[in-house]
Amino acid sequence: MSGITRREFIKRTVAAGGAGGAILYGFKKPAAASVAGEQRTAAVGTLIDLSKCDGCAGVEVPLCVQACRQENGAKYPNPVPSKEIHYYWPNKKKEDWQDKKALTNRLTPYNWTFVQKVKVEHGGKQVEVAVPRRCMHCENPPCANLCPFGAQAKTPAGITLINKDLCLGGAKCRDVCPWGIPARQAGVGLYMKIAPKYLGAGVMYKCDLCYDRIKAGGKPACVEACPKQAILFGSKAAMRQAALERAREIDGFIYGDVENGGTSTFYVSPVPFEKIDQALKKQRDQQPNPSAPGFPLMPVKVGNYLDTANGMALSMLVAPVAGAALAGFTAYQKMKGGE
Amino acid sequence: MDEKILKEQNKVKRHGFSVLFVHWTVALSTFLLIVSGFGQMPMYKRYKIADLPGLGWTADYSITILIHYLAAAVLILAVTYHVVYHVMRKEYDILPRKGDLKESYLIIKAMLLNREEPAGDKYLAEQRLAYAFIGMNLLIIIVTGVIKVFKNLPGIDYTAVFLIWVNDLHTLASMLLVFGILGHLAAFLSKANRALLPGMFTGKIDLEYAKHRHRIWYERMDRKSIRSTSTHRQKPTVPLDSTSVRQHAAGSEKTNSF
Repeated sequence: MSGITRREFIKRTVAAGGAGGAILYGFKKPAAASVAGEQRTAAVGTLIDLSKCDGCAGVEVPLCVQACRQENGAKYPNPVPSKEIHYYWPNKKKEDWQDKKALTNRLTPYNWTFVQKVKVEHGGKQVEVAVPRRCMHCENPPCANLCPFGAQAKTPAGITLINKDLCLGGAKCRDVCPWGIPARQAGVGLYMKIAPKYLGAGVMYKCDLCYDRIKAGGKPACVEACPKQAILFGSKAAMRQAALERAREIDGFIYGDVENGGTSTFYVSPVPFEKIDQALKKQRDQQPNPSAPGFPLMPVKVGNYLDTANGMALSMLVAPVAGAALAGFTAYQKMKGGE
Repeated sequence: MDEKILKEQNKVKRHGFSVLFVHWTVALSTFLLIVSGFGQMPMYKRYKIADLPGLGWTADYSITILIHYLAAAVLILAVTYHVVYHVMRKEYDILPRKGDLKESYLIIKAMLLNREEPAGDKYLAEQRLAYAFIGMNLLIIIVTGVIKVFKNLPGIDYTAVFLIWVNDLHTLASMLLVFGILGHLAAFLSKANRALLPGMFTGKIDLEYAKHRHRIWYERMDRKSIRSTSTHRQKPTVPLDSTSVRQHAAGSEKTNSF
């Protein structure tokens, strides 16, 4: 071998590999440490028992919805007046709910939970089901993961929060959420300070599981307000266990345990969720504008938006190894040849 | 070395396969990353790009993210190849040197005023700075991008503040990279730089151009080829009968005259 000794070759290979590795993955360590730190904090969860919830029959606005509005009213958007809000150029549309603050029959920036009521046939009987809806607070939330600006994140307690000061209202989070939960309000937020005529669209709003209350050791307002104890709050593990037991007890079904890769909201129902989903779909299609956001369905075993991409993550680990090996081989061949 | 003077062809071999491979792999993957990256920001639907014929897919995040992941893997492969290859071969001509800012100013001034430029090495001062700018942004993009990939995996959660830094650094470096690439392409608006273009396709550039614009580099290659010729003459590895010595010496001269 001319030009380079074997010892020198190994030395340079190690040095080069080290340099490449440090450049590519040098920042991973502190991040991994922070993950381990977060995992030590217990995650919280809720159980929504549809065998108990009757949607507060006889009451115009269910008590959980009322409590939510009262608790979170101060966090609702405070946009500029409607006539000052521009269309989303070059489109002739904008999402402005400030004149519809009173709506309680869907999710809006001013209404973070609502109760869907459907009739389904099960076991030869017509069963009325009331389903309180809000953010499911997913295990691996695509809304937070895919926000291009980092305006959403999951807290150590497993609650996904939107940063209203950073959100530009692109609504990607709503598009990648299997239930289309986050609701957009125009005329408010960071984009108003940049170029509101051409860029940005508002801020996204959704349930934060009464994060301030939880931090202070309390429970979400909807949980406390429910007269039937149909919504329970506790550690995620305990809620999951309770859901399994309750489903066994009533020979029922669970929703939220596997959907979207797992969530921290466990619905228990005496009727299959496939039937609820179908009934909801039918109900939505009868609405004046079926494509309007804020009326989530209940697709059973719906996958996570990132499943395919995550399956490809391995290629990221293989790429630098392949690159280094190929470079090492080429460089070695050349140096062996005296070049 | 990949580089050598090819007098018979009136050319200088500036780049070997490795450089061409890395340059074009990085170019193609970066192009795909920019296109799909903009797709990950809710833009193509809003600004009606997705309404153009054949471009409906650009509004589908699930498609653009797959393109982004694939192209990122290709970019990481090329960048690792680049770093490992040149570190192993101790080739650092393209790294910025002290005084490059001032020298770039002098080169650009000379180009605009049509005056004599300072003697150039293999890469001119502004080319070394451009490499550092583009390279630094690519590294920031790769490091933050890898963190973003980890973040998407189940069971991995980062703090909100860390995510803001990672996401916004990724976006900022991408924007700077786009400007860097535009600047890189704009360099070819100047006639003086165009003679380098064939180098990125065939690996070879015009000999007179190299002699004139990259004098330091040319002279170094020239000295090396003379030294190599004389070394071969002093240490023949062939049997020392007079005929074979004559043949070997003639052969080395021939090799070095390429």
